[in-house]
Formats: sequence, structure tokens, C-alpha cells
Amino acid sequence: MRKECCCNHCNSAGTSLAELPIGAKATIVGILPKSRGRKKLADVGIVPGTELLIEAHAPFGGLIRVKVMETSMALHKDEAACIMIEKAEGSNE
Amino acid sequence: MNKKFRIALAGNPNCGKTCIFNALTGARQHVGNYPGVTVESKSGSFQLNDMEIELIDLPGVYSLSSSSPEEAVVFEELTKKDIDLIVNVVDSTILQRSLYLTTQLAELHIPMLLAFNMSDDARKKGLKFDIPKLETYFGSPIVQTVGNTSRGVQSLKEKMIDTLAKLDDHGMPMLSYGADFDDAINAVAEKIDALNIEEYSHIPSRFFAIKLLEKDSSAMKIESMKPVWEEVDVQILHLKNKHAIVADTFMADRRYAMLSGACRNAISFSQEKRREISDQIDKIVTNKFLGFPLFLAIMYATFWFTFICADPLMGYIEDFFGWFGGVVGNIWNPETLPFLRSMVIDGIIAGVGGVIVFLPNILFLFFAIAILEESGYMSRAAFIMDGIMRKFGLQGKSFVPLVFGFGCTVPAIMATRTIESERDRKITIMVLPFMSCGARLPIYALIIPAFFAKQYQAFTMWVIYIIGVLVALIAARIMKSTLFKGDGEVYLMELPPYRMPSFKSLMLHMWDRGRMYLQKAGTIILLTSIVLYICNTYPEKKEFSVDYDKKITEVQKAGGNTAALENAQLSEKLEYTISGRIGKTLEPFFAPIGFDWKITTATIGALAAKEVFVAQMGILYAEGEADEESEGLRQQLVKNYTPLQAFCIMLFCLLSIPCLATLAIIKRELNSWKMAFVEAGALFALAYVATLIVYQLGTVLQIGTKLL
Repeated sequence: MRKECCCNHCNSAGTSLAELPIGAKATIVGILPKSRGRKKLADVGIVPGTELLIEAHAPFGGLIRVKVMETSMALHKDEAACIMIEKAEGSNE
Repeated sequence: MNKKFRIALAGNPNCGKTCIFNALTGARQHVGNYPGVTVESKSGSFQLNDMEIELIDLPGVYSLSSSSPEEAVVFEELTKKDIDLIVNVVDSTILQRSLYLTTQLAELHIPMLLAFNMSDDARKKGLKFDIPKLETYFGSPIVQTVGNTSRGVQSLKEKMIDTLAKLDDHGMPMLSYGADFDDAINAVAEKIDALNIEEYSHIPSRFFAIKLLEKDSSAMKIESMKPVWEEVDVQILHLKNKHAIVADTFMADRRYAMLSGACRNAISFSQEKRREISDQIDKIVTNKFLGFPLFLAIMYATFWFTFICADPLMGYIEDFFGWFGGVVGNIWNPETLPFLRSMVIDGIIAGVGGVIVFLPNILFLFFAIAILEESGYMSRAAFIMDGIMRKFGLQGKSFVPLVFGFGCTVPAIMATRTIESERDRKITIMVLPFMSCGARLPIYALIIPAFFAKQYQAFTMWVIYIIGVLVALIAARIMKSTLFKGDGEVYLMELPPYRMPSFKSLMLHMWDRGRMYLQKAGTIILLTSIVLYICNTYPEKKEFSVDYDKKITEVQKAGGNTAALENAQLSEKLEYTISGRIGKTLEPFFAPIGFDWKITTATIGALAAKEVFVAQMGILYAEGEADEESEGLRQQLVKNYTPLQAFCIMLFCLLSIPCLATLAIIKRELNSWKMAFVEAGALFALAYVATLIVYQLGTVLQIGTKLL
């Protein structure tokens, strides 16, 4: 299910971070150009090529917790929807 | 003459920087504010052999750009000329990400010392570093530290002495962004060199060239560099075409690539172990079902600790002030300067004593909050609460200041600085006064035991707090959809691994907040105590409706009790004073919400600070130095008011502005007197209307008009 996003590009092909289940591993392939806060994401290591692990979803929704460069980061679903990923093979569903 | 040095402490959030800062400076700290922005500045000093060191604890940042006010502050501090040495604290368990900031700091070419912190954890995790290789790479000496013990910083001190001795020949970093990128950087750097900007002559133009290529807003703000913008755009376009780049964050990408190259050669590790415990805890703590109840339980424990454990201490403080007032009274002959004597004893000592009584509460609350923060739980709380808070137009990070709000609104408003989003921050500030602050507690503590049976006391208190929270959330929701429409900022929050807080840090944190509170007590409240004392005493009434003195003497002769007569005389006196007159004048306005002139007078006094209310009631009922434990005053209240009125007093105090200091801090944080007064006016209007409804409904329905 796709949620409404901050940019117009989210309906383009590919999977976004927001769609991954807990425990899934993935590699970032790109961040949609119109995502706000690209720079902020880049500063904490969310750039193409980085590996991610989905750790948890917040109890009341909204936030996704991912492990990026060995640090746990919480980010909002809207932003996650702009982070395009490629799922790593063999990661659990 | 001792040599003086200015050292800046820089690093990521949660890298253990503050621990190192505390270990180095101890209590010799100064907490202030950066001018114009809402970022807290912290500096301290210490002695190193014969050198006097001024240490500046920069805010924790991930990068030297300007995505947040903190980053802008760091950028500005470091590009000033007066920093002799940067100590970059690096979490060595997550080296690759931590060094991202380090590369940017190295480009400043200010002498730098790298502190690889948490080196014990890194060792446990099986990480091994090729220190000499990394030293050459960054052109900076490296020292391994363990920040949470003072023993752990001994090696840092020794290395500092070494480094400060040879500041002039620090190494050159060997940072390369790759062939084409370095060419672009050089091209821009040459243009900057040609401009000959005196102000930044101590920093290599390469640093600014990189920042300009990143379109960093702090660098773009430098007027004198505008002439090179054209060259920057040419180079960016060239790079984008050549490397088929779409992203504007290509410099960040390159930086990570560069680092992973450096780290591949210099770091080896055997097994991943450390975070497992932390992850296991999180499985329970942030669990979908357990997380929220656990959070509520932790909040409850915090309040229990704050209010129950601090109670005996408050008793001691009270006794002390009672004793102290007595001692002064004995020493000071009643005939010398009687006016001043009674002002000092009944006005100042009693007034300030009534405020300091809260110090244990404040200290205990901030001790608990410091544990939550330093252990890493606060960010989990924000993670859990975000979903709920967002529904009300706030966000997870708003939650922490709102909790602070239960302690004192003033530091809580300062704590909103962790919220990067301007809009969320404003809303949080505006609704914060609804969180029932510690200063309102004495009002509840005085009233509740007087009017409510033992089994209802805790419940009544809970109801008051919950009303505050609900009003805050609803107000936030309304503001979000009216005053502050539109998109917020990007939300990003780190959840650091759990750590054992160090006792020293906890104590320092507690002391910091305690001092802030005492400053308030020492200034505003002292002043208002004096003003209120004057208002409560003058003009003095000489002629009474009845000749009390004569009557009292008569009763005394007959051996009867004179208390009732004395009280009657005192309240006649009070009616005649400035306070009494103000209260009387405003009484018709406050009558619909159940306030008589005495409550009205006390409420006006409480504008200065809510805790004054209790002292004020004490004076008005001639119970002398009253505090919330005063049985005499409670009996007077029960005689004069109904539980409904009592509840209305609490409700009104809960919803109106907590104190003048809050008003001042709102002005400072929102940088607008207008906003501050609008806020105060809105709070008053809301408090009045809400209390009016409750009182009128209660009266009609006969709820709480008699003692339970």
C-alpha cells in the first residue's frame, strides 16, 4: 500500500523503505530528488549504497526505526517513502 | 603568567562528549545561550599543568553544514579565529559514521586532536584500529578514551599537553574526494584565494570551496564570497554531467566513499557483540504492545520518586526557615527600624523560604529526567509517543519538553530547542504552560488535603494533571490546523544504545537545573515578595470598627481565648491595604468564577509566580508564614470555601500563565513580545472561561458545594 508522500515521484517504479517489513535488509539505490531533507539524511549516512536494516515500527505508527551505519535512526514514513531501496537477497520477510 | 588556550569540543550527538566535558571541567561550567539563536552554549575551564584552558562544549552535530541551528552555531564558532585546538570526540564503536564530521573538521585545518571515545566498548566489540595510519590520514593525533570515568580522560589530558606544545606543526590531512572532484574544489578554491578575504584568512579556501559546492547555507551566507558563486555553479554542472549525478548531495556521497576507503585499511574487527544487549532491551521497551504501558509506568515511577522521596527534605527546609526567621527576629531589636525588620522576616525570609522549599522537588525531578536522558530512554519515549503526539499536531520530540513542563515551565521551554522544526517548536512552547508545573504543586498540596478525603486526594491530583495534559493536546491540535498549517520539517532522531549514566553527569545536570531555579527564586521571587509585602501591609489601618485592643485586653483579663478577635482585627487591616483594595475592586469580576476578594488578591500575587499564592493566602488569613503544610491555613480555607471553589482555584491556577519568568522566557524563545502577551492573554481568557463554566455548572448541579 502506498501512502501519500511529500513528492510527486513516489509512484515511480521501485520499492521504497516505507514498504519493507521488520527485519528486512536493503541497500539504498536512490533518494527521490524532491524529498525534503535530503541533506539531513545524507549527513547521517542515508546515501545510495548504504545498507539498511528495518528494526521496528513505532507502536502508534508514523515512525520507522532503521539501522544505518550501525546506528538506530527513527524517521517518518513520509521520508521513508522517498528512499528507494533494493531488497537484499535472503533477508527475512 | 599562565598560558591561555581555547579548546573546542566537537562531536556527534550521543558520542559521550558531555561526559568528557564534565570529567575535564567538573563544576567549573558556565551555561548560557548563543546570541540570536536558541542553542545552549556551554563552556568551562580547567588547569592543565601551567596552562589555563577554556573548553567550549559545542552542540552535538552530525555534520558541519547548516541543516539545524546547532550546526550553524558550530560552523560559526569554528570559523572564528580564536580556537586554538579542536578536540573531536568520536564514538569509536561506530567509527565510519563518526568520522564523517571529522573529515569536515580536518578541512578547517585548525589543530585537532581526535579522542576515540568508548574505546572499551570498541575493544569488546572486537574492533582494532591502525592508529598511526589514521593519524596520518587526518593529520591529527589520536587518543583512546573512556569518557564515563575520570580515569579514562587522563590519557586525553596528557595528549592535550603534547598537542598544545606543538600547535604550529600539526599535520596536513590527506583527504581526497577523487580526481575530478578535487579539480573542481581546487578551481573554486583558487577563486576564493583571489578574493583575499581577511576574516577567513586562517582557514584554507579549500574548506569553503567544498562547502560552496555543497551549497551549504552557512557558507552561502558569507557575503564576501558571492563573487565565486558563478564558478561554483559551473563546476557543479560540469561534475553532474561528467558523473551522471542527479543528487545535490554528491559531496556527501564522495565523503562516505572516501571514508570507507580509509576505514577498510585501518579498521579490522572480529565479531559484533556490543549492541546485542541494547537491542534485546529494545525488543521489550519499544514493543508494540508493551512499549506504551511500560512508558506510563516509568513516568509514574518518575513522579513517585520526585514527590514522595523529596517530601522529608522539604520538611527540613521549612523547619530551617522557620528557625532562621525566629533567630533574626530575636537578634533584631523590634524597636530599631521596625518597618525593615518585619519586611525582612515576614516578607523576604518567609517569601524566599516558601520558594526554596521546592528545591528538593526540582532536584529530584531533574535527577530522574537526567537518568532517562542519559540512559537513552528519552529517545525511545519519543519514538513510542510520536504516533500519538503527531495526531495532536506535535511530534515525538515535543514529548520530552512537555514532561519537563511538569517540573518547571521555564527550563521546559528551553528544552524545546531539541525540536528542529520551527513550527512544532512554537506549538510546543505555546501549550507548555498547561503542563502543571512544580510551582503549582503547593497550591494543590495545600488545598487537596484540606478539602478532599484521603482516598480521593491522589485521584484529585491526577485529575488536575490530566486536565492540563488534555488541554495542552487539544490546543496543539487546534493551532496546528489554524495558525500553523502546512508541512513540517523532516524528522530524524537517533536512538543511541543504552548506557549506564555516570553519577557525576547526573549530579551536574541536577545542579545546573537547581541553580537555574534558585536564580529565579533569588531575583524575581525575592522582588515580588517585597512588593507583595508592601502591598499587603500598607496603608496601615489605625481606626477599626470595633476597639479590638480594648476588647482583647478585656478577654485576656477574663482568661478567655483572643485568637478570633486578633484574626478579625488582622483581616480588617488587610482589607484596608493596597492588596485588599485591588482584590475588592476586582471582586465583582471574579465572583462568577467563585473567587472572593482574598482569592482574587492571592491570584494577582500569583501572577508573579504561582507558588506565591500559598504565601499570599497565608498572609490574608493572618496565619503568618504559611506554606502548603500549614494546618491553620487549611482550617481557615475549609471554614470559608466549598470544595467546588477549591477546585476552581486549582483549575484557574492550572490554566493561567505560571509566572512572569515564563512570560519572559516565551518572549526570548519566540523572540517577540507580542507573542508572549498574546499567549498570556489567551491563557487568562481560557482559564477564566473554563473556571466560569465549572463553577456555574457545579453550583447549579450542587456538586462539591459541601464537604465530602
